[in-house]
Formats: sequence, C-alpha cells, structure tokens
Amino acid sequence: MLVANPGSRPLAGGQSLLNVLKHRAAEVEAVIDISRLEELRGIDAEGGRLEIGAACSYDRIGASDAVAAAHPKIAAVADGLVDQQVRCRGTIGGNACFNDPGSNYPPLLVALEATMRVVGPGGDREVAADQFFQDTYRVDLGPGELLRSIVIPAADGTAVGYSSLQAEDSWALARAVARVRCNGTIAEPRIVVGCVSGAQPRATAVEQALDGAEPSAEAIAAAAEQADEGLETASDAHASAGYRRKMARVMVARAVTEATERARRGDG
Amino acid sequence: MAEVEETHSIEFELNGERRATVVPGRELLVHFIRDDLGLKGTHIGCDTGNCGACTVRVDGQLVKSCMMLAAQLDGCAVETIEAGPAEELREAFNAEHAVQCGYCTPGMLASAAFLLERNPNPSSDEIRRALKGNICRCTGYENIVRAIERVANGKATAGGAL
Amino acid sequence: MSSSSTETGAPKTTTKPWTGQDLPRKEDKRLLAGQGQFVDDVWMHRQGYAHFVRSPYGHARVVSVDVGPALEMAGVYTALTGSEVKEMCDPFFQIAPEPGGKIEEFPLAVDKVRYQGDPVALVLAETRELARDAAERVRVEYEPLDVVVDAVAAADPTSPVLHEEIGHNVAWKGEYSYGDIDWALENADHVVKIDRLHFHRFSSTPLETFGAVINWDPGTDMIEIRSNNQMPIFGTMMLSPTLRAGADQMSWYSQDIGGGFGIKIASYPQIGALALLSRKAGRPVKWSETRSEHMLSSGHGSERTFLDLEAAVQADGTILGFRVRAFDDAGAYLHYEPLGAVIWAQVLTSCYRFKHINVDYTETLTNKCPTCPNRGYSRLQHMWMIERLVDTVAKQLDFDPVELRKINYVQPEDYPYETPNKCVYDSGDLPQELDLALEKLGYAEWRQKQAEVNAADNGKRIGIGIGSTLDSGTNNFGQAQIVNPDLPFSGNGEAAIAKLDVYGELAVYLGTTPQGQSHETTTAQVVADILGCDPGAVRVYAGFNKEQSTYVGFSGTYASQFAVTGIGAAIGAAEKLRGEIVALSAFALQCEESDIVLADGVASYRGDEERAIPMIGVANLCYSNVAVLPDELADRVSLNCRYVYRPPFDPPDPETKTGNLTLTYANQIHAAVIEIDEGTGKVEILDYVAMDDCGSRINPAVVEGQVHGATAHGIGAALHESLDYDEDGNLLQATFWDYHPATALDVPRLKTGHVESPSPFSKNGAKGMGEGGGAPLGTLCSAIQDALGKDVLVTDTHNPAERVYELLEGLRNGGGQSGVEVTSR
Repeated sequence: MLVANPGSRPLAGGQSLLNVLKHRAAEVEAVIDISRLEELRGIDAEGGRLEIGAACSYDRIGASDAVAAAHPKIAAVADGLVDQQVRCRGTIGGNACFNDPGSNYPPLLVALEATMRVVGPGGDREVAADQFFQDTYRVDLGPGELLRSIVIPAADGTAVGYSSLQAEDSWALARAVARVRCNGTIAEPRIVVGCVSGAQPRATAVEQALDGAEPSAEAIAAAAEQADEGLETASDAHASAGYRRKMARVMVARAVTEATERARRGDG
Repeated sequence: MAEVEETHSIEFELNGERRATVVPGRELLVHFIRDDLGLKGTHIGCDTGNCGACTVRVDGQLVKSCMMLAAQLDGCAVETIEAGPAEELREAFNAEHAVQCGYCTPGMLASAAFLLERNPNPSSDEIRRALKGNICRCTGYENIVRAIERVANGKATAGGAL
Repeated sequence: MSSSSTETGAPKTTTKPWTGQDLPRKEDKRLLAGQGQFVDDVWMHRQGYAHFVRSPYGHARVVSVDVGPALEMAGVYTALTGSEVKEMCDPFFQIAPEPGGKIEEFPLAVDKVRYQGDPVALVLAETRELARDAAERVRVEYEPLDVVVDAVAAADPTSPVLHEEIGHNVAWKGEYSYGDIDWALENADHVVKIDRLHFHRFSSTPLETFGAVINWDPGTDMIEIRSNNQMPIFGTMMLSPTLRAGADQMSWYSQDIGGGFGIKIASYPQIGALALLSRKAGRPVKWSETRSEHMLSSGHGSERTFLDLEAAVQADGTILGFRVRAFDDAGAYLHYEPLGAVIWAQVLTSCYRFKHINVDYTETLTNKCPTCPNRGYSRLQHMWMIERLVDTVAKQLDFDPVELRKINYVQPEDYPYETPNKCVYDSGDLPQELDLALEKLGYAEWRQKQAEVNAADNGKRIGIGIGSTLDSGTNNFGQAQIVNPDLPFSGNGEAAIAKLDVYGELAVYLGTTPQGQSHETTTAQVVADILGCDPGAVRVYAGFNKEQSTYVGFSGTYASQFAVTGIGAAIGAAEKLRGEIVALSAFALQCEESDIVLADGVASYRGDEERAIPMIGVANLCYSNVAVLPDELADRVSLNCRYVYRPPFDPPDPETKTGNLTLTYANQIHAAVIEIDEGTGKVEILDYVAMDDCGSRINPAVVEGQVHGATAHGIGAALHESLDYDEDGNLLQATFWDYHPATALDVPRLKTGHVESPSPFSKNGAKGMGEGGGAPLGTLCSAIQDALGKDVLVTDTHNPAERVYELLEGLRNGGGQSGVEVTSR
C-alpha cells in the first residue's frame, strides 16, 4: 500500500505523526494504519538478545520482564518516557523512525549496536543502527519500506549509562548514552551524543580518551571535555547553542559515570 | 489489498454499547466523540497532544483521543467519562476539593482510574508521574493527588454532596 | 410539603454556621460526570464554523486580502475582511487619554498587522476542518515592516512605529511621586542600586481556550453571545459602540468556564468580529480557537522592565524608599490597558512601610500579542521588584533576610495603614505570618542542611528563599481617572438577586462568571446561614446570563473580589429576602417579627416549633394568595430581592495620584528550599510553604485550592514558562509543546497554612483572594540568590536551567558585573 500510494505514511502509535498532521506541517495524502499488525508487535528474547517489533508500545516494553532482564535501559527509557497516555500508544519504531533530535531511542540503539530489520517491496534487509539514523527526520527507509523490528545483541557484560537534561521532564536539551565494558579499566566505549542531530553522532574523541583508562571522576571529566568536538548545536526557545554544547559534555560525563558504576555493580 | 479511502465504516463499542457508523479518514477521535457522538465530557485543551484534557480509555488503554483517528476505533471499545461511575474516585475528588473549573477533570479521572487499576497503592511520586500527561491550571495538582491517595488508602466512602 | 431539600444529607445544625466550613462543592456533581456546559459544547441550529486568517508577520502592511479562493470552495458560506469591518464599525473605545487614545483598532486588522497572529480575515464554513482549509486559501499580500519587540527600545522615538495615528509607541507615561526620594537617597546611610530587573512575559493559559457561539439574529437584531468571556459587561461596553448596536441588544450567556485568570476578559475583539460574521452570513457562528491561536493572540501577562532602581537604606535596616523607571510592554494593541499603568499603585509599597517612592512609568506598544489582565494583573510585577529589592538589600548589606523584612513590614499595630499614595491596608499580621511560614518550613533545620551540602562541594547547592506579597482585592475603578481623568468610572459593585420561587424554593442569581472559584457553593453557605436552611436548599445561578443574572457596570469574575463584592451582594439580597420572609411569617403566625426564627427551611414562633409556616406557605402568601395580606405588607414584599453591594470608595485624586484604590488586602508569605545542580543549573524545589491571610474564610478548602493554584502558576512561571519573541517578531512558544505549563511533576507537594485577619471593611470580614500575589516568583528568586551568594544578581523572574547556569558561570569566572552597586556613607 505504501508503494501504491506515494504520498502516504505508515501510522503506528501516532504520537508524533498526528501532531504533524494536525499542524499541517507536511503534505500527507494518506496514512496507513500498521498499529495492529501482530507481526510488528512482538518481543523475542533469547540468550540476552532482544528482538522488539517496531510497533511494540512503550507500555509493553516497559512492562516486559524479558526486556528488563536483557537490557534494563531499554525498559527504563520506555517506562519513563513522556507520559502514560503516550506510553500506551507510542511505539519504539515510531520513535526511531521519527528521529527527532529529542527522540529517546536512537542514541541508545546506536550505543547498543542494534540492528534495524526492514521489510519492503525489494525484500528484507538489515541496517546497523549507526547507518540507519541518517539525519534529523531522515532514516534509511526507502519508498514502500517499513521498519519491522529492532534487534539488540546480548549485553554480554557491557553496562549502559543514559543521561538526559530534560526541560520539564518531557523533551531533552541534552542527552548522552554510554556503553562500556569495565573491569578495572574502561574498554570498548561507545558514546553517543543525543539531542544534537538525527545522525546520532559518536563522541569519538571521548571514546579514544577513555579507552583503557581508569574510571575515575577526573579521567571521565577530562575526557568528557571533548564531547562537543565537531558538534553543531542549535539555539531555540528552550536553550542556546552554546549551552547545549556545554551540556553535551556534562551529559557524556554523567552517562559514562553511570555506565562504569553499573559495570562495577554488575547491573548492566 | 486494501484501498486508501476517504471514509471508513467502523464498528465499535461505546461505553458498553455496540455501535456502527462511517467516519471521514481525517477525523480525530476527539472530534468524533464530541461532535458525532455528541458526548461533550471529553475536552480539547491544546493542539499538540500535551494537555490530556481529551484522555479516554480505548480497549482499556489510556489514550489521548486527539492523538488517534476515529477510523482507528474499528473493532475497539472506547470508554468516555459518560460511561459513568468510578464512584470512589468521584467521591474522593469531591471530598478533597480536587475540582475547580472542571475542564481537566474527565481526563484526570481516566488517568487516575488507570493508575489505580494497575497500582492500587501508589506512592505520591507515582501518582504525580501518572498524572504527568494531564495538565491542570487551577488546582496545582495538590488536591488531585490527595484525592487519589484517599482512594488508595481506602478512605473514600459513599455520601457527600453528590 | 417541605420545601427544604436535604441533598447534603447533613443533620440539622442550628448551632454551627455553614460559613467557615469545608463544604464539598455543588458544582462537582455535573463536572465529575462530564456534564458541565462549556462553550464548545454549545451548538446552534444552522451554525457555521469560523476560522480566522492570521498574520504570520510581526509587523506588516496589508496590501490586499483576497477571499475569492476560499469562497469558491464547496461548503464555505462567507468571509469577512478588515476593510469590510472598517465600514461596518467604529474603532474600539480607548481607555487611554491622548496620545494612546487615538489608536484605531477594529475587530479585524485593516491596513496593517502589528503582531504575529493579528487577524486579517474570517471565514465561515460548514465544518471545522473546512473552515480551516478555506482560511488557508485566503490570499493575503503583506509588505513586511521592521519590528520592535523590546519595551524599552519601543520608547525610543526612532523605533518602528506601530500606530501611525499616534506617531510613536508610548501608549501612556506618568510619574508617581510620594514623599521625597531625592532627600532620602541623599541622606540615607546606604544606597543600593540595581541596574535592571525584568519581569518576564508569561500566561496562565487556561486549559479551555477562547470560544463563542454567536447569532446576530436577522429577524430580531438581537445579538446572542454564548461565550466564555469572564467580564461580559466590559465586553458590552466595548462592543456596543463599535458594532453600533445597543447594549440591550447584546445578550451574553455563559455557564461553565474552563479557567480564565483574567485572560478571558480580552476576548471581546474576536467576539466582535464573529458577531459581524454572523450578521453577514445570516446564520449562527461557532468558534473555538486552537491552542496555537490562544498562545499567539488571546492575551499575555504584563511584561515589565525596571531600570535604575535605587533604594535608600538606613544603618538599622529601615528602607526609606526607592526610585525606579518602569517600562511596561503592552503589546500591539491596548486591550484593557493602560489600566495596568495605575493598578500596580494599589500595592505601591507592597508589604512594607516605605515612605518615599518615585516611579517613572512608561507603557509602550510592541509587535507582540496584546497584554491583558493575567492573574495578579500589574501588581505582581511591582511587588516582585520590591521583593527583589528587599532581598538584595539584605544580601548586599549583610542583614538577616528575616529580620530585615520584619523591620520593614507594616506592623500589626499599624492597621488600618495608609500608604504614601493613600491606599488603606485593612488588616494583617505579617511578622507572625513570616514566623509561621519559617516554622512550617523547618527553617533552622534547612539552614543547617544547607551549610552541610554547600560545604560538601559535590555539585549541589541549596538555597532558601522568602517571598512576601499582597493580593489587593475589590478595586476602586476611579483609579482609571489617574490614567485618564476624562473616564467616567469610579467605585465598584456587584449585584445579586435572592428570591423564593412560587413553591418556596430559594434561588440566588449572581452577576458573576466563575471559572472554578466555587461561587455556587460559597454563596449557598453564606445564604444558608442568613436564611436558616441547608446549603443544599439554596440554588445559586452563577455564570452570566443576561436574562437571568443581575449586573452592574463591574460585574464579572476577576481581580480577587468575589468574597467581598459578590458575596456582599448575596448577603445584602439574602438579608432583604429574610426581612420579607420574616414579615410574611409574622403576619401568618400572628406575632411580632422579633419572635420569628428561621431554621431548617421553616419559619416558626420562637420556643414553639409547632407554630410554624414552611417556605412554600410564605411564598403562597406573596404569589398566589395575595388578597389575604394587608396592603401595607403586600406593597412592600415581592420575595424577589435585588441588592447592589457598593464598597465605600471616593474617587481618587488624579492630580496627586492618591486615593484608596482597593478595599481589601490579602497577603501571602512563601518560603522555599531549592537545590541547584551546579553542572546544569537546573533548580529543584525541595520544600515549599505557602502562607495566606485572606481574612475570614467562607470555605477554607476553596481558599486553599486557590492558594495551590496560584502557587502552581507562580512556580510554573518562575522555572518553566516563558513567552519569548525573536527579533523578527516570531513567538517562540506558540504551542504546549514549546510553552510548558507546569505538570504534576513540576509542582512539589505544597505545605500551606493561614493567618486570619478579618477585614474591617467588608460585610463579612472576608478579603478577596485568588490571584495570589505571585509570591513564588519572589520566593524562588530569593532562594536561587541565596544559593549563589552576593557576587551575582538574580534579575529575572524566569530562571530556567540555562539562566542559572550562566549565573554560576559568572561566579566561577570571578563575579564581575553583577548589576548591583552599594554606596555607603
């Protein structure tokens, strides 16, 4: 249907798309309701590896013991997102595909090395999360393609920190996600800076500085100073570009701190 | 394969009663409830799905009816404030002076009921989190939280000015 | 047949009065069932849906408006443009004297648009969405002009001029001078000077936006207005001359209103345009604005900039007075303004005994949404400035903030206290209230915790703040003459009717338009006490209904006055009715009037309950059995008693700008503990106390509910809510996505307490309350300042994380320009 109706968009939870429509912010010929396709709503957990259907609601994800066991941050983000009404209807796939800089999941999925499973007229394909999020409101989905599910590999001893500076607890001014291994020293750090660009940039300079370092407050703070390298932030009603850049550093430091502490405790 | 249409036939349950009708594809559920079904207790307070005044229950889920299309109601059960009772909650709202202008009230009651179904004994923080999606400009939320706590603590009784 | 219903099921209480009880509300029955009647619930046969076409520009010439493409659409009934409106109307009456008085404003913009959202055309169509589609098709050609969005800049004669008919942007200017501030500043031990303070623009954003269903009847020429306007009398006064219709032709109706907070006074221009649309279309017009429209164009709270504030302070902490230049930002048109230019003078010295005041007040026009009364209208701004002043004096001169306030507060023995501009503060006990606030907060324990946390240097700072304000209620409209001596307004009042209907039912009709203030319940309590019955037996009709209501020139619900004016009117009417009931009963029971007791809905002979007449019997004598009454009795009873409450006011003196501007003064003292996250600047409230004194409380739960609501509004504005325009005149917060009204997570648990200082000036000792004084604004600024110390200055009412972060950076970079200067002799 998506192919046959070029001006159409898939409608899952509608918690972003309906606002776009109400404000007539985009030319949409039709919406195609996919919210009840069972094949898009499941949660599969095996050996710590998760596959979450794109149309799975936050409410379901937050309540899932399987998700909480395999990847607690995925569940925690779902459970704390916006408000109860949005959690009942909104979906992880919607959040990912909308890819607003404020979207909660994209930086987390990149940090967790998720794989996005896409289905379309040309068949099925898989895209690594860091390729999938291309730019603000732009993801790697071609005409007629749908995100089917998101696969997150088992944590396998890694731990995650997720830190947001949320204006009024709804949408964030700054965000960072860090996934590390830490056994005395930090290894394989993956740090993603959220709230800046739909491309979900990695803080590579910080990763390099932290790789092999001891997780002391000083080392983390020093490394985090580089978090805004190459970052282009914007000024708007909520915050200035300069503040966003500074807060990126603060969020990176806090995310890394959280990740290393969780690693130490064995919390994942 | 289904075709894209301008109007849709829907069959649904409204406050326990089976209904069937045709709706335009572009119509929001909240307008369907208010204008087509003539039920005025569900209110509109914003145009971005932030205020929660339009909150209803659909298949038991808590939903902002301005963030759903009427056409999506097909095969679902919708419950509005007009469904009635939730006696305990209403008595508690009255007893604790949790209503001033009344505009947010139907949405608040829906969210409060949903919370208590899942969590009969919520902490005051959990109550506030549960009400995050319902804006009130009159009460400062204080008495609404107290009313819900009153029900949770089993203090709500029948009687009162209602 | 007993005519007294006992809906409450409460037992006979002849001893305990209803006034003063936490009676659960009568209004709740319908509201909890979703059966309220709000304006969008109203529907008229043959109605069309209206949608405004609005300017995207902050300032532009309107070159052309072509509604042709809209009219071509099927289902579109008609459209209205500014040039048509100009032919049909006279411009709105202006409150301002010249030059502001020469502004020409019509219900639609004609040659120019002056703020983003200014309406230029109106379309009417079969459905809501169709009206919106049609509005989008209207082709408007604009020629953008330069924009001015700063009130101080707008005072400059070279700034872009909004209204050519006056040639500049100063709507009103005046100087308020009392005592001798020059002498005080020259001779004081210290002078504390603050360069700039800014009270930001925000709004109470009632959850229900403006709406109306209007029919200008083609047959009778009556204009039926079903709306949520909260001051229909003011709307009538504005629209009658503009629409060239008699005030008696305009019939207003409202029932339930989803919050107003003053903003719903300002919907008269839209209502005017919609009335004209209805007349043109020959059918009723239904309109509900979207939230975006409300944010853009309904009405914003006053924004005020204070420059060069200087305070004269003695060594012992006595503040002699202050001088300041105030710039108020009225937005693009004067809606209810420039009354704000004098209303702040009701609280000239706020809670304090300052003697020497000089305020140079300029009100300017800018390319922003017109301001209008918004919860605490014009007084919050002035009182916040004073509280910042007091707080800063304490901080900079190392006075204890509690003691400094106590020294300067109006003292309990001073009441009734006459201020330098001859306002009279009726009663209060501020020092005691402050002590109670601090006790409730656990002030000593928090100071200790603060010391520990701040010394620990682990990224957090605690601050403790105090804020004191007044809520002046029942204003003397004569103060309008201070702004414009030609205005024929003075005093205040409200009307009520109390009656027994044909079967003895008790009904009270008010001229008020409550938006949640519980008028039905509180009125019933007061009337029940007077007439010896149960409040369940008193039906109260609030919500303006021109046919049913009774009204005076000040009717409506605004400005913290109902407990005095509305209740005063209800008391007067009920007492008149009581007199008639007693007279009729005495006749029926063949006794003296002084032997009649009214209790439980029955009139009986004192000491003999069997010798009694129920209300239905009393009514019968007056309505249907009149021949049995002696003439002198029949001639003086109607059981339909109207009373107008009139507070004792004289017109103020426009020359000296003095006079008693408000009858009652409730007061508020708040205290808060906050914690700042040093990494981000984010402020979290750890503890909050709100003390209130509004005299005798008719229903304490209702009073407390107002305190909660006002506090939430203040906290929201202080930390979360702001309306900002960019340099092109774009409003940056035009939806609830960007303008964040405080949610249940933003408002902390509120601890409240009260002091009860009855007013000697009202019928019942009550003081008007509800607006709240804006105490959280001063309190939170004080708390943030306390956390930051004396080397930087909190200068804005709005302190989101970024602003606090900047202040912290200022500290970390060694202070520098803090904006405050102290000179000592």
